[in-house]
Amino acid sequence: MAFRHKNTRRIEGLDSNVWVEFTKVAADPSIVNLGQGLPDISPPSYVKEELANVAAVDRLNQYTRGFGHPLLVKALSQVYERVCGRKIDPLTDILVTVGGYGSLFSTIQALIEEGDEVIIIEPFYDCYEPMVKMAGAKPVFIPLRNKNDGNSASSADWVLDPAELAKKFNSKTKAIILNTPHNPIGKVFTREELQVIADLCIKHDTLCISDEVYEWLVYKGKKHIKIATLPGMWERTITIGSAGKTYSVTGWKLGWSIGPQNLIKHLQVVHQNTLYTCPTPLQEALARAFWIDYKRMDDPDCYFYSLSRELESKRDRMAQLLQEVGLKPVIPDGGYFMIADVSTLHVDLSDEDGNQPYDYKFVRWMIKSKKLSAIPLSAFCGPETKGQFEKYIRFCFIKEDSTLDAAEVILKNWTKQKN
Amino acid sequence: MLRRAGPSLRHFLLERNCSAGYSSCSSEAKMSRPVQARRLEGVDKNIWVEFVKLAATYSTVNLGQGFPDFPPPDFLKEEFTRAFSGEKHMLHQYTRAFGHPPLVKILAQLFGKLLGRDLDPMTNVMVTVGAYQALFCCFQAFVDEGDEVIIIEPFFDCYEPMVKMAGGTPVFIPLRPKAPKDGKLMSSADWKLDPAELASKFSERTKAIVLNSPNNPLGKVFSREELELIADLCVKHDVLCISDEVYEWLVYDGKEHVRIASLRGMWDRTVSIGSAGKTFSVTGWKVGWTVGPNRLLQHIRTVHQNSVYHCATAAQEVVAQGFQREFEHYGKPDSYFVQMPKEMQQKRDQLVQSLVAVGMKPIVPEGTYFLVADISEFKSDVPDVPNSDEPYDSRFAKWMVKNKGLAAIPLSAFYCGPHKNNYNSFIRFCFAKEEATLKAADDILQKWKLEKTTP
Repeated sequence: MAFRHKNTRRIEGLDSNVWVEFTKVAADPSIVNLGQGLPDISPPSYVKEELANVAAVDRLNQYTRGFGHPLLVKALSQVYERVCGRKIDPLTDILVTVGGYGSLFSTIQALIEEGDEVIIIEPFYDCYEPMVKMAGAKPVFIPLRNKNDGNSASSADWVLDPAELAKKFNSKTKAIILNTPHNPIGKVFTREELQVIADLCIKHDTLCISDEVYEWLVYKGKKHIKIATLPGMWERTITIGSAGKTYSVTGWKLGWSIGPQNLIKHLQVVHQNTLYTCPTPLQEALARAFWIDYKRMDDPDCYFYSLSRELESKRDRMAQLLQEVGLKPVIPDGGYFMIADVSTLHVDLSDEDGNQPYDYKFVRWMIKSKKLSAIPLSAFCGPETKGQFEKYIRFCFIKEDSTLDAAEVILKNWTKQKN
Repeated sequence: MLRRAGPSLRHFLLERNCSAGYSSCSSEAKMSRPVQARRLEGVDKNIWVEFVKLAATYSTVNLGQGFPDFPPPDFLKEEFTRAFSGEKHMLHQYTRAFGHPPLVKILAQLFGKLLGRDLDPMTNVMVTVGAYQALFCCFQAFVDEGDEVIIIEPFFDCYEPMVKMAGGTPVFIPLRPKAPKDGKLMSSADWKLDPAELASKFSERTKAIVLNSPNNPLGKVFSREELELIADLCVKHDVLCISDEVYEWLVYDGKEHVRIASLRGMWDRTVSIGSAGKTFSVTGWKVGWTVGPNRLLQHIRTVHQNSVYHCATAAQEVVAQGFQREFEHYGKPDSYFVQMPKEMQQKRDQLVQSLVAVGMKPIVPEGTYFLVADISEFKSDVPDVPNSDEPYDSRFAKWMVKNKGLAAIPLSAFYCGPHKNNYNSFIRFCFAKEEATLKAADDILQKWKLEKTTP
């Protein structure tokens, strides 16, 4: 009898993924990997120590509270009460999830369904689109546009057109997904820009899913503003955070969703029907690290601030290296990614597979011939804008000095070969 | 497909977001439309939320939720400390999304040996956040609206809401108890499926059957013949088998855990699910896995990459080391897989004795660390309430934890709504507990019995 079992409708077309190809690179030690957002710097020592200590406590090896380990949700509520200036109930207003990724999934499964439209700002962290589709809803894209028309020195140059944005909202719009600081461009949305979005959310009674995993990584002169703190926004916003990005421990896969009880309770229902609890030892170690930094939130040595200082110099170095090879990087105001237009190098890519977008061909060529990896930007946009974004590639700079040194050697040689 | 409610209906269905005592919303704009997705309908209730809270508040002896109160094996704790005291800081970063290479490699080796086939670690194994997430991925990957999924009662309670959330229809079939021979204690082996009844549950809409062996809560270990019965029906009707085998190492009295994926015609249509939490007594680490043919696992990978993507590296690294050690010690007396069931069997027997001594009638489990007991003798303490919405055993369990400090779980938790009153004088105990805990439980039971018999 023929085997009739294929995939369900909800995952139709969602099987391919940019990371499947480009993370394989990470396993090859001969390639300098500036692709996937993977820190190769060490997390702070107290974070590593706390994790090593927890195994000694027997009960921490067993199940904890499903919606979040009590010590952790308490720590999160304290930190975010301070940041947001409002009371946050650790038991009802917070859900701990498997990374920021898990928070996005829980939020979308809880609140989005067939018939809904969800606005996604391009370029976008690539999972937003398949997650919205898996929930049966329709993604509606709007691109950030380079206001300086080609010459973009800063992520701040990339903006939404308010009139264009307003046109994307209609009675079917259930939510808009906001990512600030933004991956891949590094844009930090200003208060005015957030107000434009907030006004539309309120006018159209729409939810806001605010992915703020890079919230602590903002550079000099910039401030991260939480859209949930704008008037009228708390009750319609889910704010997502990540331990991986906060403490440079992407492998801990812990994140959280914070919002009003009447929204979070639905995320909790999804969570109790998907994985029920997150790992206890990691949550305990994370909670202890949070308490350490909570106590010094007035101190510049607090990791929430010291990490961004450390990364700012790496950002500046990365930008310089790329400029020396003739690239024009877009200097990010936040996050740990930097994009650059590579079409200006006029590299001969005729040997690469013709059907692919330019940036995919470029990155594959660069991996092969320069032993340097990055991520093609067209992976982060919808079908209509691939033409606009395919000349950009994304570099990750949360890397040890030795990695950046190795990148420097490659880039300097590249310059020599050109001249 | 259901059409979405139009604007006029939407305002009808106002979400109440202000409840008594929740004061912060009064002066702010309200979200006025129904916010939650329809897939959450009917899956919001969860017995654990209530019973875990009760145990935390009232219990002095917690034999309720299924987790050990003894430590994990020393070799595992040592591995953990070793991994994180060293300089290997990349263990704190993402690993391979479908499973940390050392872990999938050893799982492929071990399960290849157990199933008698060559397994590719990259395509025949996928790591999940506990067996719970493995189950979720299976239902999301294979169950569409309109599909039926056969669930054997009593069942681990998440199967039903997961099927519903995927838009499927659960079809239930009970294990039916046969009275044991005179004088003998009932065994989980006495609870059986009726073959004709089982066959009648398969229809053209049947997508899958969920098998849980060893079974939580009864502790039944399905025999080869019973599994062949299920397998024949799966093959005949071209149905998938989701095989939850998390308690695979906890089998007693020399019984054999038979893996349904090893039966004829079954490898191609079975996803086998396992759990490090149960295998190594580390429920809090939430590491599970699926093993199966690539043509099924590919779809499970798609769900995984669009839901959590990566599992935590730390726990996977240590579990891989644990499995490596067990693979090397396989079958030897100092293997954890040999020692653990031996110790558990003793604990089982100890609890059985305690219960028999006071007049609770245990169903002796062939496997798992759960035991179900008939509490009919104690019913007089908790009078029946006619026309109550709540099943009797649930009221009994709540009374017991509040008044005796002993936590257990009502068997009705493991039945679907309409069947919750079918076996309403049974409660489930977890015996994965230290000596001291089981002794304390015994003390409570003895005292209780004494109170009943003393006028």
